[in-house]
Amino acid sequence: MDIVVKKIILEVKKGNQEAFSELMDIYKDKVYHIVYRMLGNVHEAQDVSQEAFLRAFMNIDSYDTNRKFSTWLFRIATNLAIDRLRKKKPNFHLEDQVAGTEDLTYYSQFSSDEELPEDQVVQWEMQEWVQEEIMQLPPKYRSAIILKYLEDLSLKEIGEILNLPVATVKTRIHRGREALRKRLRHS
Amino acid sequence: MACSKENIVLIHKYLDNEMTLLEIKQFQQHINKCSDCEKHLQELRKTEAITQSASHVKAPSNFTENVMGKLPKQPASQKWKH
Repeated sequence: MDIVVKKIILEVKKGNQEAFSELMDIYKDKVYHIVYRMLGNVHEAQDVSQEAFLRAFMNIDSYDTNRKFSTWLFRIATNLAIDRLRKKKPNFHLEDQVAGTEDLTYYSQFSSDEELPEDQVVQWEMQEWVQEEIMQLPPKYRSAIILKYLEDLSLKEIGEILNLPVATVKTRIHRGREALRKRLRHS
Repeated sequence: MACSKENIVLIHKYLDNEMTLLEIKQFQQHINKCSDCEKHLQELRKTEAITQSASHVKAPSNFTENVMGKLPKQPASQKWKH
């Protein structure tokens, strides 16, 4: 593991909170990104990724420094995101109609603070669309697809994060990829 | 749709770079003459490209401060020394 990260973690293990803020600065974007892609909602992503760091801090004694820190941290984060998804029922999607309205969808409930240039709007819509497609995947395929395609992790690392044998990770990626293919092929 | 279930498995194996050189050669020979499998592979490649195009979102600016504010109080003697 990165020597700098290891040194910071040893300080955190001694109870040093300022060292923990350095650790957060290194990993916060990755953790937030994984959680956001899992949940598809910025408020929940912020809530769950903050909780992940709090848990990491509280449980730092159980982290084995011979193992990769990001694997341990991402495992905490994905577990919390999956727990949140389980509790989040009944599910609704942004394109669903708001009950009792003609053509008002949840999308139209968002207001933007400023007018965006057209190319940014196109880019934003493209991103929203990719996220919507990812959200259509069952969570067990979604987590594997996010870790492989958005975090570029190896099957072995994904297996360690999700606590699954590599063969199961492969199956989930294949099924997730097939499900996405069926939705995206005509786009 | 690919021509058979066995060949769908092979397409995924190919995408995951898990074939031997001989298997790759046999697979490519099949793809060259089977338009269904060729189409299936292309659709999966497109799917991979679209998925990878999702941009990396960043944590909100006050993220670290928020978490630090929630940590249990520590004694002053344990400050981080560079």
